[in-house]
Amino acid sequence: MAVFQAALVNEIEKLYKKKKALVAVLLSLAVIVIGQLAIVGVRSGFGLRGAGSVEFPMLVLSVVVNTVLPLFTALVTIDSFSGEYSQNSMRITLTRPVSRFKIFTAKITAIVLFILAMLLLLLIFSMVVGFMFNTNSATWDSLGRTVFSYLVSLLPMAVLALGIVLLANLFKSGISVFFISILAFIVFKVLGVLFSQYSSLFMTTQLDWYNLFLVNSFPLGKIMRQFMIMLGSGIMLFTAGFYLFDKKEF
Amino acid sequence: MEKIIEIENLTKSYGNGRGIQDINLDIVRGDIFGFLGPNGAGKTTAMKIMTGLIRPDRGDVKIFGHSVTEEYELAMEKVGCLIEIAESYAYLSAFDNLKQLARYYPEVDHQRIEEVLELTGMSKYKHEKPKKFSLGMKQRLGLSAAILSRPQVVILDEPLNGLDVEGMIDIRRMIHHLAEQEQTTFFISSHLIHDVELTCNRIGVIYNGKMLNVESTQTILNNYATLENYFVSEVERNGRVSSCAR
Repeated sequence: MAVFQAALVNEIEKLYKKKKALVAVLLSLAVIVIGQLAIVGVRSGFGLRGAGSVEFPMLVLSVVVNTVLPLFTALVTIDSFSGEYSQNSMRITLTRPVSRFKIFTAKITAIVLFILAMLLLLLIFSMVVGFMFNTNSATWDSLGRTVFSYLVSLLPMAVLALGIVLLANLFKSGISVFFISILAFIVFKVLGVLFSQYSSLFMTTQLDWYNLFLVNSFPLGKIMRQFMIMLGSGIMLFTAGFYLFDKKEF
Repeated sequence: MEKIIEIENLTKSYGNGRGIQDINLDIVRGDIFGFLGPNGAGKTTAMKIMTGLIRPDRGDVKIFGHSVTEEYELAMEKVGCLIEIAESYAYLSAFDNLKQLARYYPEVDHQRIEEVLELTGMSKYKHEKPKKFSLGMKQRLGLSAAILSRPQVVILDEPLNGLDVEGMIDIRRMIHHLAEQEQTTFFISSHLIHDVELTCNRIGVIYNGKMLNVESTQTILNNYATLENYFVSEVERNGRVSSCAR
């Protein structure tokens, strides 16, 4: 466990010291500010309501889970794998007394923690901005649902990251992985619209699964089905990614 | 004599026909073993297998009795290494680079990091990032990383690459110091015959992926004028010197 902890702390330090993670955070916060300014503009210019204090964080979530969050998850994941392959810096860790399984798991845990930190930061910032600019009163129930929606969004984002990890271990160049990831994302989105009856199988549709928790009737069966699909695909992607990582020659 | 590294029937073939074939070798405590061979002979391939960077097609390497392929963490516990080029994270300072590695060894603290930086002459650059370093400085940082955990075995692949004469002398002195004071065993590959002659007490010659011979430096120098003469003789004896070289 101590070895895994060391590997995890190292991965987190590398993420933190690289400028990319900081840029991702700043750009995500910029999205919130731009979004809020747009709402203020719509309200004062056209007299439309826009979004209320608790509705604003939900509006932000619906935008970021389909845009900036997958984008930054892809960038950080590719950097953690393909980036280290191309710079040969993976050897630094691989030649230490730590197994490849622990290195692989530590890398993925660090990426998941990055996504969680991004989600929490977006939640807090969007709530603060929402309360500052929108005076509508919020209930504890709606507040709780908002927080829960942000937290459950971690699962589909983690599965997406595992998909990118697999691609990073399949293809040599980080740029190829990035473009294939974007292409796959768009293809899944289109397929989800064209074959809506099978949409729950697509990774990109699952990004919106937090909506299931907002329905008053609480569709437990559907939530469980989605959860199992994500868990199953997550396990398969992790196993396939690790298999390739373990076989890799450096 | 206690066997530190046991290499048994080690074989690895690449698509281009190069690689290593049935290498058998034992390294005992106190050895400063020189792995001598020309470029492409298979030195790096063997060393990459020894440090778990690639898997062999056949055979195994045991370090302190632990198989590198089966019990990697145990096998590498007391090993420090530098393979091919000294890699470092360009966005971390020299000190932070070593701090990353120190986390895998509970006994390595900040004082030890300072100590190895001093030993390799990198102390004054500890807060600088390696992207600004020369090849020699990167190599010194790589050597600092290799000896950081006070390893009982150090595996070095071409450790003098990029070093100037002063650097070569410093590193050679450091190797001798660690071997004498801390009984560190060294496995060093090089294509620089003169350097191997001055540094190592036992020498193995590898050519075209095969081990030709293993002998103590003293015995070699008793029988041959120079190590270069021994190397040429070994290669010729095995009928592998190209006609142009003759």
